[in-house]
Amino acid sequence: MDAVISLFDTGVDLVFSLYTFIIRWLMPLLAFAVLLRSILPLWQDRKHKKTWAFLYLVNGDRIPVNNWENLIGRSKLADIVINLPFISRNHAVLTFHDRHWQITDLGSKGGVLVNGEKADKKTAVNFGDTITLAGLDMTLLPPDDEREAVENNDEENSYSFSHATSSITFLLVIVFQVLGALQICISRGTGKNAAVPAAFLVFILAECIHYVLMRRRSKKSFVLELLGYFLCGFSLLIVASAAPGALYKQLAAIIAGMVVYTILEAVIADLGRAQKIKYVFMAVAAVLMLLNLTIGETYFGSKNWINLGFITFQPMELVKVAFVLAGTATLDRLLTTRNMTAFIAFAGACFVTLALIRDFGTAVVFFGAFVVISFMYSGDIRTLFFVVSAAAFGGFAAVSFMPYIAARFAAWGNVWQYADTSGYQQTRTMIAAASGGLLGVGGGKGNLYRVAAADTDLVFGLLCEEWGLVLALIVVAVIVFFTVHAVFSTKNCRSSFYAIAACGSAAIFLLQTTLNVLGSVDILPLTGVTVPFISNGGTSMITSWGLLALIKSAEW
Amino acid sequence: MKLLSTRTAVLMLLIVLFVLGLAAFNIRYFNSAFAWAHSHANRHYYKNGMLSVRGTVYDRNGDVLLMLDGESIEFNAEKDVRTAVMHVTGDREGSVSTGVLSALKGRLTGWNLFSGAYSFHKKSRSELTLTIDSGLCRAAYREMKGRKGAVGIYNYETGEIICLISSPSFDPQNPPDVEGNPEKYEGVYLNRFLSSAYTPGSIFKLVTAAAALENIPDIENKHYLCEGRIAIGPDSITCLKAHGRVSLQEALAVSCNTFFAGTALELGAETLQKYAEACGFNNSLEVDGIRTAAGKINLKNAVGADLGWAGAGQYTTTANPLNFMAFMGAIAGGGEMVRPRLIADDSSSFFDFKPGKKVLKRETADKLKAMMRNNTITSYGEEKFKDLELCAKSGTAEVGGGKEPHAWFAGFLDRKDCPLAFAVIIENGITSRAAADVAARVLQEAAKALKQGRNL
Repeated sequence: MDAVISLFDTGVDLVFSLYTFIIRWLMPLLAFAVLLRSILPLWQDRKHKKTWAFLYLVNGDRIPVNNWENLIGRSKLADIVINLPFISRNHAVLTFHDRHWQITDLGSKGGVLVNGEKADKKTAVNFGDTITLAGLDMTLLPPDDEREAVENNDEENSYSFSHATSSITFLLVIVFQVLGALQICISRGTGKNAAVPAAFLVFILAECIHYVLMRRRSKKSFVLELLGYFLCGFSLLIVASAAPGALYKQLAAIIAGMVVYTILEAVIADLGRAQKIKYVFMAVAAVLMLLNLTIGETYFGSKNWINLGFITFQPMELVKVAFVLAGTATLDRLLTTRNMTAFIAFAGACFVTLALIRDFGTAVVFFGAFVVISFMYSGDIRTLFFVVSAAAFGGFAAVSFMPYIAARFAAWGNVWQYADTSGYQQTRTMIAAASGGLLGVGGGKGNLYRVAAADTDLVFGLLCEEWGLVLALIVVAVIVFFTVHAVFSTKNCRSSFYAIAACGSAAIFLLQTTLNVLGSVDILPLTGVTVPFISNGGTSMITSWGLLALIKSAEW
Repeated sequence: MKLLSTRTAVLMLLIVLFVLGLAAFNIRYFNSAFAWAHSHANRHYYKNGMLSVRGTVYDRNGDVLLMLDGESIEFNAEKDVRTAVMHVTGDREGSVSTGVLSALKGRLTGWNLFSGAYSFHKKSRSELTLTIDSGLCRAAYREMKGRKGAVGIYNYETGEIICLISSPSFDPQNPPDVEGNPEKYEGVYLNRFLSSAYTPGSIFKLVTAAAALENIPDIENKHYLCEGRIAIGPDSITCLKAHGRVSLQEALAVSCNTFFAGTALELGAETLQKYAEACGFNNSLEVDGIRTAAGKINLKNAVGADLGWAGAGQYTTTANPLNFMAFMGAIAGGGEMVRPRLIADDSSSFFDFKPGKKVLKRETADKLKAMMRNNTITSYGEEKFKDLELCAKSGTAEVGGGKEPHAWFAGFLDRKDCPLAFAVIIENGITSRAAADVAARVLQEAAKALKQGRNL
């Protein structure tokens, strides 16, 4: 009997070994397919341009109006270029907000008239009205055959993204997650722990429901959400392997994140509403920062936690969404007021809070986002240069005067010399990465989880060790793709409000990933920030979904 | 939106910086992943700083040299054997950096860039067969009688190293108090055969002879009168006695210093340097990934008596025993050197297969071989090396500092059925006869083993 049992065990072991052997190849291939299927449409569907109206000139020529916010002027960078000497470089902005066309004079020399009346401030323009730019007459008329397009713009505006394509990608994502979950179950011993299969079951169910709901609502491209699911699945694999106790918490955070995403996306879809909601976010953020300073608790050297008894969270994570929104503006505002005081004041409050709670890594992330947003706002390289120099000086001062930060920099570049002290985490990450090779040792079979913060600050090493360098790089590529997506969608974006929101959010994603990945392997100093969507952490997960909604908002 | 679109350049810049950083990491990864994975802190491979993989290392006859079972490391059952092969296997603490446990740990862990530490089976074992013969190593180590030095023998046709010992050694199963006995265990962690370089003395005359054969016309028929001493400028080169009228062959057999000093001066520093480098000086060899030390020669500033002494193997020149053994193999092999190796039937060597390296012209090699054969017959005594067809050169290398000279003996067997080349070095061995005696007994043992059918 014993012999039979041991034979059976050997058989089971063999099947498990075979399983791991196969998925080590299969999962990177699946992930690569998902990435490729997400990237390709970005290039294929670039040509689409929607014309909202035409400007008819006196000579019968007509100029298509392709955006919701159009800069008219002599400048090469204008959306509607009128290369006549009496037109100013940036002459006026023609906007389509709340279903009304409006024109704003940008302080041009020649002036702007609507139906012969001087338009100093923002002035409404109806179809058929004559706009006069420094004596040049033009008439705004609707597009020939698509007068109705204005009515249900959301549906028609979006380029048609095949449902079939996205559902195949979605299927690949789910297969990937099921394969990964099974691998974790095998590694942790069969039947011993029902939490892993249960969590994955609920997660897959949740993403299916979310998928169906979102698809019903809109015909837009679904790439961002699919990749969000993909990354969340990975974070569950990591938590299941490295911190199984936090599995349900992470699952709850993912679902909450999806809810936040859905609501936020719907709320800011309307530009007028989005502009108002921005101030609500900023007010809430201010309260959160005050709370953090007063009742914040300190873990691992940073006072960045709030404990409400039933729940603990990191307020500065949530502030990120407000921070990005604070820097947004529509093109007419951006070009007329050129006033960033509100944003700078809000950013200043954030930096002061971060300095007081000693969260250096997050401060770097905020600063990077600040640079990106303020440059998009002002376009002024000198300002950019000045801001970066000032920050470099400030950073230098911080490193010089604050011993706890200086300690982090001391090991930088020489972590192997301090392998068991200040370089402990980085060397263990590199050891883990090397142990994984290109394909990994198999989910749940790593050793890095023994090191503190393996599932957060060192998550890249955990990915490399258990799932291989190839998959780890694919995960990083997905986050880089979010950034590229934001850059691309800026081109045909409805409003600069969304463009700035998307690029600011993308900057935060990118900077966090940069600091985390390169910090954990000693290319940069280790600063202890999370990888969006991937690292174990509830607040980070919800914030990631919130920022993703802002990236989504810029989609053409 | 064009305006904002151009301003996203700042975001693209961040992406580029990140990708550059990632590229930097990947370059580091591909260069250093082996070292990272084999850090003692890696729990996949180490427990409490000790290699915790499973595997067995055998010698060429299937005798177990090392047994790793994940918890402990066991060496050969016989104390003399494990002491003799300790420099090849390495010790538990990893102090012998050229030992299998350190230098070839990748073979035991099975790590590679593609799979990392992954293994199909939980309890997979690695097996490694070495080319050495543990019995022969034991014999060689015994012959050293505790003197410091090294013995190496390899098959110059296949490259297999069959004997590789360094003395002093210790029993790795029960390591002694090395630090407490600095005199006895001086340099004990060093494999002197692989990692040391000694003044070559007269064995270097083979290099001078090789250069002379190819560069001095009709050198073989010239004669030279050795009066025991020649003056070069203010200095002089001396022999132990006046050898009288000698040819090149006779000069090599009696190891006439003045002859080779004169030859070196005739050749010039540049030519001698060139030939020495071709013969393996200023070069380290790689034995299955284990780098040897390089013998050094620099004749740039050697003039007059210095150049003369360099031709006789003194001056500042040093020789690494393994490199010199490979040079012996090259002479035996008609000028072509087969790289020495330590791992038997190595499948990976298929990929980095390097053909024999041409070191000397065939004629030159054959002439040297004939002269070295003559050395044995006229100088070293054929009865001591009965039936071995020994071709060799002895060397007594002055080391100065009031210390006794090092004893060298290097050469090969000109036997198709027993194609072995060797080098023996005994530190402060006083006369080269000490090294010759060790070589004689170990080579006889090797021949006997061959007769007994041991697979050499």
